[in-house]
Amino acid sequence: MDPDEVEFLGEKQYVTIIPTFNSGVIHLISGDVGPFRASLPVRTPLWMAINLKQQQKCKIQQPDWMDVERLESIREDEKLSRTFTKMPNEHYMVIAKLLLGCASDDIPRADEIRTIIKDIWDIRMSKIRSSVDALVKNAGSYAAVDNLTVMEINSIRPILPHALDQLHRIKASRKRPGTQSLGTTTFVSSSNNRSSFPSTSFIS
Amino acid sequence: MNIDIDINFSDNLEASVDEDDEIQLTPAEAIALMEEAWINEKFAPEILPHKLELVECLLGQISYMEDNLRSLNSTDFKKIIHQLEVDRLRFLISSYLRTRLEKIETYVMPILDEENERIQQGVELYLTKQELKFAKDFAEDLQHHFDNITTTRLPREEWNQECVKPNIHSFVFLKSKEEVEGIVIDDGNDEDGDLVDLNRGSQMIISYKSVANLVKNGDVHLI
Amino acid sequence: MFCEKAYTLIKELSRSEDTLPPYNTELVTAVINETKHLRDQNEEDAHTSNNDDSNAGTSLLPTVRIRHAAVKRNVRCLLAYHYNRIRCLRTMRWEFGSILPADIKSNLSASEIEWFSRYSRTLAAYMRSIGEEGVNLAVDLRPPKAMYIEVRCLTDYGKFELNDGSVILLKKDSRHYLPRAECEELIRQGVFQHID
Repeated sequence: MDPDEVEFLGEKQYVTIIPTFNSGVIHLISGDVGPFRASLPVRTPLWMAINLKQQQKCKIQQPDWMDVERLESIREDEKLSRTFTKMPNEHYMVIAKLLLGCASDDIPRADEIRTIIKDIWDIRMSKIRSSVDALVKNAGSYAAVDNLTVMEINSIRPILPHALDQLHRIKASRKRPGTQSLGTTTFVSSSNNRSSFPSTSFIS
Repeated sequence: MNIDIDINFSDNLEASVDEDDEIQLTPAEAIALMEEAWINEKFAPEILPHKLELVECLLGQISYMEDNLRSLNSTDFKKIIHQLEVDRLRFLISSYLRTRLEKIETYVMPILDEENERIQQGVELYLTKQELKFAKDFAEDLQHHFDNITTTRLPREEWNQECVKPNIHSFVFLKSKEEVEGIVIDDGNDEDGDLVDLNRGSQMIISYKSVANLVKNGDVHLI
Repeated sequence: MFCEKAYTLIKELSRSEDTLPPYNTELVTAVINETKHLRDQNEEDAHTSNNDDSNAGTSLLPTVRIRHAAVKRNVRCLLAYHYNRIRCLRTMRWEFGSILPADIKSNLSASEIEWFSRYSRTLAAYMRSIGEEGVNLAVDLRPPKAMYIEVRCLTDYGKFELNDGSVILLKKDSRHYLPRAECEELIRQGVFQHID
């Protein structure tokens, strides 16, 4: 998927803005937004918040999780955990990128936040790389990818699905009755093992 | 100057989700389903059952909104916001329809064969009436072109055999919306493979063939 | 060697990935003739072996098989050559619309030009048939981004009509939020200044 399209999906998340103007409710197709009262917080979709911010019609409040202390603890958890921890928002990367891009003047300690989020991303990407490696080496037929966000999944596309497609072809052509199967070694034992990508035994 | 657009959206739209039961949808729900359909169509190797009702319902919303916007001053910030939302929806719908069109073009022969089978079985088609016409015309244009080149030397049956078919074994990422038990893992074997269960909200990478039905009935969606 | 020409044909096409090389009538004809020749020979040999119960008939079999494989390969290459050119033309239809640039058109065979106009018609008919008013699928290719920008008017320009039919008055030092696409020309002309 095109990165713009990942962003497109993230942009419908709601954020809180502080408008600098007064206006009644806007009846969007996707639902009502407003009313807007100067300096009273109101929830709007991200795409709308960005647009209003560009027109200097509002300040954007950072989401609760976009806070140095919160993010630092998320980073520590991510570092300590062998599996992927649940991110505070499924689109954390998109939201962070867009807000830090257009509203960094509204966000205290924006530079620190940027660095920590980049760290979290890097830690997770390195886990993803080793998991992909393990999955392909073990010729897995499936794997749980719980807690991975859309942008993270998109970062291993198309390489991982394509690699597995090729493995599948090889397996299908090799398979003859009576021969030992190459691939059904369970990379992931069952889906009850919710955090099994990476399956703990393959990490580290 | 201060023209307020007041559109009454309390009238719920109707969009049939299953063949049988009509389900009442708010526009917001329709958009969410459209997004899901878009992503499913993007990543599923084969063409999926059409979502004509959704598309038509949202196109109706768009044109209604655009009619209303004409009366608004273009410097009004509300108009800008409405226009942006309309553009987002237009992109969503167009991209969805384009994705289907690309599949129809690439796999035109196998898709037409499958549709013919569905007609014979009397089951619902995957293509809309308009898409089916496009597919037939496209196939005919292609036949005509190949007939031109090869005249008598290349019997039609011969090039029909060389058609590209979707690889339904290709791997996809999915998220489960329901508890699903006993998905048979497609590991390239004709025999039954391992079984796996899905919890609601769990995510997985798996061969599309294992979950094609779940994608179509909405128990899981691709991501 | 069998199929060498067909191979050259494919290679020529794959070498120029982004552009469409001139349709190689000569080579296509040569491949078709080679295929025809191989088939004729096979027919002849098949005839011979049918009328001959002795071993001579069977001994022709390997030759016939090789020729048959060559025929199949030639056919496959011809299909690939023509099909991939069509795919490329298809992309151009989406990029350029229904009228092809002259330099591209001159590289096409008559049949390809015909295919292009048929495809254009088929596609246009489909787009018209969507919803109540039809949908132009060749636009809205990317997700929309902030499309409105703020501009300051540097001169007393007067009335300016926007694409949606509304008219605004552009006075010196007036500020406007306008669609980026509609401002670009006036920014170039120095009527507007883009305010970041």
